[in-house]
Amino acid sequence: MKIIKKLALGLGVAAAAQMTQAADSGFDLATVNPEADRVALQNYFESRFPQSEISDYVNGIYAVDASSREQWEELEEFPPYEFAVEEGETLFNTPFANGKGYADCFENGGVGIRQNYPYWNKEAGTVKTLEMEINECREANGEKPLKWAKGDIAKISAYMAWTSRDKPINIEIPSDDPRAKAAYLDGKKFFYAKRGQLNLSCANCHVQGANIRIRADLPSPQLGHTSHFPVFRSKWGELGTLHRRYKGCHKDSRSKPLSHQVEVYRNLEFFQSYMNNGLVVNGPGARK
Amino acid sequence: MKKIITIAAVLALAPTFASAESFQEAFESNRAMYGKNHTFEWNGKNFSTNHEEEVEAAVAATKENALDLIAKAKAKNKEAAKLGFEWKLTGGILKDAQKAADAGEYRKALDLAAQAKYHSRMGIQQHAYAQSNWHLSVPQ
Repeated sequence: MKIIKKLALGLGVAAAAQMTQAADSGFDLATVNPEADRVALQNYFESRFPQSEISDYVNGIYAVDASSREQWEELEEFPPYEFAVEEGETLFNTPFANGKGYADCFENGGVGIRQNYPYWNKEAGTVKTLEMEINECREANGEKPLKWAKGDIAKISAYMAWTSRDKPINIEIPSDDPRAKAAYLDGKKFFYAKRGQLNLSCANCHVQGANIRIRADLPSPQLGHTSHFPVFRSKWGELGTLHRRYKGCHKDSRSKPLSHQVEVYRNLEFFQSYMNNGLVVNGPGARK
Repeated sequence: MKKIITIAAVLALAPTFASAESFQEAFESNRAMYGKNHTFEWNGKNFSTNHEEEVEAAVAATKENALDLIAKAKAKNKEAAKLGFEWKLTGGILKDAQKAADAGEYRKALDLAAQAKYHSRMGIQQHAYAQSNWHLSVPQ
């Protein structure tokens, strides 16, 4: 009985320590704790939307708004991204002029690896995204890089996401390189900093403002963001990459958006994807 | 006894000092209530509700003055962009200011340049605010 009591006390102290850390630190390199951030974010959404399962957050707003979900489920009966995935598969398997292909550039032939992206690349000292490596692969094989926002890059990325469906997101922040944690912190800071003429941070809409109307739209919760990209948006009428969405969102705050794949957007993706650790890849997705 | 009186006085006066309006607060509330070209009193002195850029634009509408303010606004916007806090419309406003100056509409050019410079200054201020306050909306 004594042992049980001691164990319970120990667990309680450990849990309290984690909660305390999440509450009063994590804003500089010395104290930032990605795991505490992830737990705090999950707890936040659990208490905001107690009826929603954490695992369902990969479905964005449809995890927390029943009427939007009904429409989306009907849309998913004939997914609008289906043809793009097929085209992506063809593009992925079409050899470059030198006879090599995308499969030669990626681990496991590029199949079932989406859940590990983005990742910290120690040699390059930067965060690498999947789209970035698709283009690096092309350039290394004498091909021109693809445009970042839509078209072939989104289709190839969609096919790669498709092969990774249901795999748990697994973003690692290596402890032996403080630059990785700095990149995570930079992304976190970007997410929570207010900017633009409307003085809005990403968090204003996607944390505090999740499922609260902005005109006719309901912003999705941050938890689960990135899991379903690239995405087919009805507004676009086609597939688009995550950074295309970042630019649009950035612009919505009346900021001048940054360029695709710029360092801070990649760091933002690193931070956001880490928040989704344990959730599953469900890209490509369909959204309004 | 003296100590008690002092403590009581401090406690009684504390809310008054604590609620004293800063210049920024006084400026912003007067600007919001009365718009530009209004005079308000703060700490016994009179101040205008005009933004510094509006003061800069209140000069003779000449080509030289217009181009000078456009150049200042461009430089300020570059500063904001360097910090990653450039606003979406500022570049377009600057282009319009230049067009107006080229067309000899110097008053319009001055006003647009003042607006662009204000946007840029606000972007820079926003960056400074973000540095020390970004953490406020992180879920705990």
